[in-house]
Amino acid sequence: MNLKRKFDAGEFAVLAEMEPPKGVDVSTMLSNAMRVKGEVDAFVIPEMSNAVMRMSSLGGAMILQGKGMETVMQVNCRDRNRIALQADLLAANGCGITNVMAVAGEDPSFGDHYQARSVYDIDLLELLNAIRGLQDGKDMAGIELSGSPQFLVGSTVDAGAKGKSPELEIEEMTKKIEAGVQFFISPPLFDLSAIHPFMKRVDIQKTKIIPTVLLLKSLGMARYIMRNVDNVYITDSLIDRIQKSPDKVRECTQIASEMVTSLKKEGFSGVNLATLGWEHKLPEILERI
Amino acid sequence: MIVADRKPIEEIIAEIKEHEKILILGCNECVTVCEAGGKKEVGVLASALRMYFLNQGRDVKLDEITLERQCDHEYLEEIRDVIDQYDAVVSLACGVGVQFMAEKYHTMPVYPGVNTCFLGVTEKRGLWTERCQACGQCILARTGGICPVSRCAKRILNGPCGGSTQGSCEINKEISCAWQLIIDRLKALDRLDDYEQIDPIKDWSTDRAGGPRKVEREDVQQ
Repeated sequence: MNLKRKFDAGEFAVLAEMEPPKGVDVSTMLSNAMRVKGEVDAFVIPEMSNAVMRMSSLGGAMILQGKGMETVMQVNCRDRNRIALQADLLAANGCGITNVMAVAGEDPSFGDHYQARSVYDIDLLELLNAIRGLQDGKDMAGIELSGSPQFLVGSTVDAGAKGKSPELEIEEMTKKIEAGVQFFISPPLFDLSAIHPFMKRVDIQKTKIIPTVLLLKSLGMARYIMRNVDNVYITDSLIDRIQKSPDKVRECTQIASEMVTSLKKEGFSGVNLATLGWEHKLPEILERI
Repeated sequence: MIVADRKPIEEIIAEIKEHEKILILGCNECVTVCEAGGKKEVGVLASALRMYFLNQGRDVKLDEITLERQCDHEYLEEIRDVIDQYDAVVSLACGVGVQFMAEKYHTMPVYPGVNTCFLGVTEKRGLWTERCQACGQCILARTGGICPVSRCAKRILNGPCGGSTQGSCEINKEISCAWQLIIDRLKALDRLDDYEQIDPIKDWSTDRAGGPRKVEREDVQQ
């Protein structure tokens, strides 16, 4: 329960996303995680992000937990109905997973199985209420459980996201807090000023906001995000900085490290490092913090 | 047709009770055929609401209009001159009509007066049953004209689940097993060999699961 302890103590928590494999060869995921085991408080295991079919979050989380690493399991309503979601939550907690993060999940049309029928039997808020119900000892049908799970519950908030109204986001966040959410992961941040309007309205000492720091892999990726990704700000000066650097990859890891340091100084509860397949770069980011 | 059922009047009253000038708006198409939202039902609902407001000692204006359709601009335009006389509309059209009405008259509160149920048929007066889920890729040619997507509880596409008994679905004995119907029909057509063929995995992206859909035909657009 390292993550909960850190949150309770008000210490800065370092989370890192660790994508499970598309297949059963978990050696790369394991070796990447092992290399930063001591520096990461918990690994966030995405639940088939972008609707690309791969090993489930539950599977990936169990594999890392088996090697002594704490994880945050993601659950979403896209692929499972209320029966399966509750069953997986019980399985997870029964296997020692104590952190769970409920996310909306991208539509199958974004992924590699675009012909799939999405489920959405319940929505995100209903899922959060279901998690709270399980913790209180009852399932969604009101039937008493034989042993109730206990989770640290997280979700997402679009804090600092381009084109989002901070007021609406705060309303959404309040609803989630009422449904039992204890920490929030927010979208990739490259410019602290983007999250300032949100910070003016939310006391980040009280509400645990964990911004994502996304590792850029190239100038092209930075430009692509700037032009095409709706909810992420990338400034021209950042593009310039990468462009002028003789070692662009190293510059990008340096940018990620600096952002982590800045977020710590700003008083955020932690950071979520997203490296999108470049998990081997985590040590380089972490050593400069 | 789109089959709808009457909404309990208590639900309608709960939504409209604060309003003073209410238009009850019927639709002369599907909801008339399934006796949920046509001119006759508009009259019945308006009378019941008049009784309710009378008992409450309130003088509420309740008018009745039934349009040819509520899913076409031209018919919804017919009430443009009178819509300002009201502070709410109860639409007895299906959910399509309610929404098109709300889109067209953006500041007018519009409340649904029926529950929209499914795409179906009139088996006999007072009995409507489902036939189509509008999945966007019709497979009826391969299934003898009987749809497993809408008529099988599990929507399975390659033969029965094994739970049916004497032609009845395991979830409800009053519902026929869709696959029993398909097999009987293929036999009658002397096409039982078709039953042996395994269907390709269905592409659900054209179903509602793929998001709100549209059909766009440039050849008929002006």
